[in-house]
Amino acid sequence: MADAHFLAGALTSAMLVLLSTTVVVNGLYEDQIKKFDWRSMHVGAAKHIHVDLNHFQPRLLLGTHEQVVASICPKTGEIGWRQVLEQKARGDIKLLQVSGFADDSSDTAAAPVGTHLGFDMLTVQGHAPALVRGWNTNTGTIEWEWSVMPLNTERAQDAHWFYSNSLLYHVVPTWRSHLEVTAYFGTSGHTTGSTSKIMAAWIKPESCLLSGTFFVCVDGKQLISLDLVAKSTQVIATTLDTEPTSKVQALAGLNGVLVVNRKLVSVNKAQTVCDTLQSSSYAVGTFNYRKIVAYGDLAEGVLKIKAAYLDNCAPVPELDQSLTFNADYGTPSLRSFDCKLKRNGDGKSCLFVFSTSAESIVAVQQNRVRWVREEALANVVDSQFIDLPLADSEGTLENEMKGKSVDATGFETDIASAFLRRITTQAIQIKSLFLHVIGLGPPPTDTQRAGLVRDSFGLHKMLVLLTRSGKIFGIDNIIGKHHWQLYLPNVVGFGNDENMRLIVQRTSKHFPLQPLCTIVAKDLSTGNGVLYRFNPITGRAAEGGLLQLDYQIKQLSLLPEAEPDFVKGILLLDATNKVHVHPKHATQLADGMYLYTADVKTSELAGYFVKYAGEKLSTTPIWTVHLCGHNNEQKIVAVAGKSSIEHVHSQGRVLGDRSVLYKYINPNLVAVITQAPDALHKSILNLYLIDVVSGSIVFTMTHRKVRPPVHIVHSENWLAYSYYNDKVRRTEITTIELYEGKTQANSSVWSSLKAPMMPLVERQSYIIPTVVEALRETITERGITNKHVLIGTANGAIIEMPWALLDPRRPIASTTQGREEGAIPYIPELPLPTENFINYNQTIARLRNIYTAPSGLESTCLVVATGLDLFVTRVAPSKTFDLLKEDFDYILISIVLVALTSGSLIVRHLASRKLLKQAWK
Amino acid sequence: MSAKQNSRKSKWALDFNVSKNADIPSPAGYNPTALVNQTEIVRDQRLVIKKSWDLALGPLKQIPMNLFIMYMSGNSISIFPIMMVGMMLIRPIKAMFTTQVTSKMAEGAQGTGQRIVYILGNLANVGLALYKCHSMGLLPTHASDWLAFVEPQTRLEYYGGGISFI
Repeated sequence: MADAHFLAGALTSAMLVLLSTTVVVNGLYEDQIKKFDWRSMHVGAAKHIHVDLNHFQPRLLLGTHEQVVASICPKTGEIGWRQVLEQKARGDIKLLQVSGFADDSSDTAAAPVGTHLGFDMLTVQGHAPALVRGWNTNTGTIEWEWSVMPLNTERAQDAHWFYSNSLLYHVVPTWRSHLEVTAYFGTSGHTTGSTSKIMAAWIKPESCLLSGTFFVCVDGKQLISLDLVAKSTQVIATTLDTEPTSKVQALAGLNGVLVVNRKLVSVNKAQTVCDTLQSSSYAVGTFNYRKIVAYGDLAEGVLKIKAAYLDNCAPVPELDQSLTFNADYGTPSLRSFDCKLKRNGDGKSCLFVFSTSAESIVAVQQNRVRWVREEALANVVDSQFIDLPLADSEGTLENEMKGKSVDATGFETDIASAFLRRITTQAIQIKSLFLHVIGLGPPPTDTQRAGLVRDSFGLHKMLVLLTRSGKIFGIDNIIGKHHWQLYLPNVVGFGNDENMRLIVQRTSKHFPLQPLCTIVAKDLSTGNGVLYRFNPITGRAAEGGLLQLDYQIKQLSLLPEAEPDFVKGILLLDATNKVHVHPKHATQLADGMYLYTADVKTSELAGYFVKYAGEKLSTTPIWTVHLCGHNNEQKIVAVAGKSSIEHVHSQGRVLGDRSVLYKYINPNLVAVITQAPDALHKSILNLYLIDVVSGSIVFTMTHRKVRPPVHIVHSENWLAYSYYNDKVRRTEITTIELYEGKTQANSSVWSSLKAPMMPLVERQSYIIPTVVEALRETITERGITNKHVLIGTANGAIIEMPWALLDPRRPIASTTQGREEGAIPYIPELPLPTENFINYNQTIARLRNIYTAPSGLESTCLVVATGLDLFVTRVAPSKTFDLLKEDFDYILISIVLVALTSGSLIVRHLASRKLLKQAWK
Repeated sequence: MSAKQNSRKSKWALDFNVSKNADIPSPAGYNPTALVNQTEIVRDQRLVIKKSWDLALGPLKQIPMNLFIMYMSGNSISIFPIMMVGMMLIRPIKAMFTTQVTSKMAEGAQGTGQRIVYILGNLANVGLALYKCHSMGLLPTHASDWLAFVEPQTRLEYYGGGISFI
C-alpha cells in the first residue's frame, strides 16, 4: 500500500516535471523588451491642479478623478511620479493642499526640511475613514498619515475639508439641521478641542458648497454663507442680480469667492473682486508680485486668455494670449497658472493649465499649446484593431483580382482582356516605380506618408480606442503614435452601466472602398440614440457623420454584409421593441434575425424574432426566461456570448483510445450568471447556459458561499469564470466544457431550433492565487492555434494561461487514459510562473479590460489591455510556428547552400575528368 | 601400360572368336552413361520442384520470425521499429513484383500452385506489417485521424443582443 502511494507520488512528480517542460513557456528574451509592446501611462481626468514654477524643482501637482496623485513636468508634460491610490470611495481625493500656496487666508505650513512638522503637500481622501496624508512632492512618497473615523459614516459622505492657518477643518453637514466642524492640527491629527456644532437649518444637499473657509448655500437669488473659522458664527446673506442658471463654483485661491453666472461674487467682506469680468473659468495667481485673476474662454475655435490685477481690476496686457484650440480637445476650463517670479516680467514664462471636457490636460505658454496629456485614455470603453489600407501597387492588383472574380462566368471569352489588363497594370507598376525612383511620382497619400500601409503579416494595424468621455483615438499599434483623434461632445454610455459601442461596419478588405466604423451611444440631453460614422484610418467623419436618432436604443446587433457597398448593417432595437436598420438598404438582411435582451433590473431575458414583410421589419417576442428566483432576489451580474468573429477549427477532442469526443459548439449559447443573498449560504451564484435563439436552458449550475466580482470568458465549447469564494476567502476559476458525445447529431448544419440532445458537461474549479480583474481568450485568424486565457490581475499583470491548465478534463487520479489524452493531472492551484506574465514588469495600473484581435499571422494574436494605463502587445499561444525566428541565421544558411552547390558542381567536374582519364588507359 | 595398350588395341581390333552369346560391344560413339543421365534428370526435376516449393513457402516461413521481431520491437514509435515495419511492408511487396522471375523455373504442373502460395505468403507478411502499423497507431483507422477534415457546422440562425441599455 505504501509502495503504491510512493509510486503515485513519483508519478505525480514526474508529471509535474513533464508539465513544466511541455506547457508552452512564453517568456520574452531580454533583448525583446519593448520590441513588440508599448505602454502609455495616464493619471485620469484632473480634479485638482496646482502649478508651481517657482519651486526649486518646477512642478505641476495633480489630484485626479481616477484617484491618482501625480507630479508632472511643466515643461514636457511627462509624469515625474505617480501614486495610484485606493479605489472607490475610499480613495476619493477631497482636498489637495500644497504648502506655500499663495492664499492669504491660510499661512504656509512649510516647515524646515526634514522635520515632521510641516508638509509639502497634503491630501484628504475618502470619508470613512478619511485618510490624511502628507507627501514629499519631490519623490512622491508619503511622509506621514493619519485618519479619522467619523461616528456617522453616511453623513460623512458629504463632508468637506479645508485647510486654514495650520489647521485642517472637517465639516460634516447634517442637511436642513446643522454643521459639525472639527479642527485638527494638519500634520499630527490631534484635535484642537471639541467639535463645534453650528445650527443652520438652511443647508440643502444640492445647493451648498465650500469656498475657502466659507460654507455657502444658494437660495433663489440669495447666497447664504457662514464663515466657519470666525469667532462668531454670523450668517451672511448676499443678494445676486439674477438667479444662478448653472452650478455655482468656488474659486480656489480666494477665500469666500464664487463664480456665479460667469461672474465673480464675494461673500467675504474682506475680499473684494472684480465683478465686471465675464468668463467661464478663472484662476488666481501672482504676477510681478501682484495678485491677479486670469480667465480663459473659447470662442469659435480660438482660446483667449486674459488677466486682471485683483487690487484695481486693471487688465494685465502682458498675459493676454490667443491661440487656435483644436476642437478635439473639448471645452477648456482654466484650472491653474503660474509665472516665474521676476520684477517687471514680460509674462512669457507664464504657464496656463487647462482641463477640458474631453478629459485632456492642456498647458498653454506664449500663445501656443506647450503640451497636451490625453487623459481620456485612462477610461477606454471599447477598442478595435483595423487593417491598414493597401499600398497603391497592391491596390491595383487587388482590383484586378476582384475584376477576375466578377467575370468568372465568362472566363474563356475574357482571357484576352484579363491578360491585357494584367499587362497594363504591370506596366503601370513599372512606370510608377520608375517615376518614384527618379522622384517624379505622384505624392504619397496622407496615410502612406504616415507609414500607414499594410505589412505582409498583418501585424501593423490601426488601434481605434473609444473612451468614456466620447473621445476617440486612432493609434498605431506598433509605435503607439496618435494618428488622429475625434471628440464627440454630449454623448454618454447607456443605462445599466453599459458602455458605448464601437462597431466595424466595413473592414479594410474591400479596396477601394474605405473602412467604416460606427459609434453607438446615447445623447446626453435627450437620452436618444446617437450614431457616429467615421473612417477609422483617417479619423474623418463618413456617410454624414453624426446621426441623431429619435428613439432610445435598447439593444443592437450587426447584420451580414450587404451588397453593393459591403457595409454590415446595424440592427437597433428601440424601447418599444421596434427594430431599425442603418444603413437602410441593408434592411432586408435583418429578416430571420434573433434578438435577445437581458434586463438586469428584473432578471428577465426576452427573445425576439425579426421578420421582413412588406418592406417593413417587425419583431415577434418568442420567449422569456425569468431568472429572478422564487423570491425575486436573483440579480443578473454577468452575461457573456461568444465572439462573433471566432472560427473553431477542431470539431472534437481526441481521447486516449483515439476516439473523438465531438465538441458541442452552439454559436447561439450565452452564459448568464445571477447572484442572490441566501440565509444559509450567505450568497449564491447561479450559472445558466441559455440558447438565445430557442430560449432553452442548456445547463445550470449553482455555487454556494460565493460572490462577485464575476468575470467570464466564453468561447468555442468552453467557459471559464472567476468569482470570490467567501467560505475559504480566495478567488477561484471554474471551467466548463461541453461535448456532444462520440457522434455528431448533425455534422453539416447547426440549428438551435432542432435542438440536439443535451451536451455532456465537464467541469472543474481551480484556485487562482491572485485577484482577477479581467479575462479574455486569445483569438486567431483561423482558430488553428491553441487558445490561451489572458488573466488580468488586480496588481496590474496579465497572465497567459494555457487552456491545458484550465482544462476541466484534467484527471484527478493519474490514469493512463488521461495521460494518453495529454491531460495534466489535476492540481487545484493554478501555477502563475513569471514567464507567463506577458507584460513582464510593465505593470498596468487599474487594469480593467483586455481586448484581443487576430493578426494576419495564424500564430499571433494582438492584445490591448486598458485601465489607467494602456498596454499593447501581441501573443503567440502556440509559438510563432509560421514565422522564422528572429535570430534565424540567414547568412549561415546561404553560405552553406552556396558552398554545397558549388562543391557538388566542382566534384562533378573532377569525377568526369577522372572517368575520361581512366577510359584512355 | 600393356593393359592400356591392350585395351586401346581392343578398341579397334575385331575379335571374331568371341562367341555370339557374348555381349556385343556397344557401337562406336555410343555412350552408355546416357541412360543413367536420364534417370538423374528426372531426379533433378523433382529437386527443382522441391526447391521452388521452398521458395514459394519462404514468405510463410518468415512469419514466425517476423512475429518475433514485431514482439521484440514493441509499439513505441521510434526510428528502429519504424524502419523494421517499413522493411516488413516493402519487402514482400517487392518480392511479389518479382514473382515472374522466381517462378520461371517452376513452370510446369505445380507452377500456378506455387505462385499462389508465394503470393499468399507475401500477402500474409504484408498483413502482418499492416497489423503492426495498426497496433503502432500508424494507420488512419480511427475517427480521430479524420478529425482535421471535419468541416465546422454551418449555422442557420444568427442572434444579437445583450444586457438591455434601458
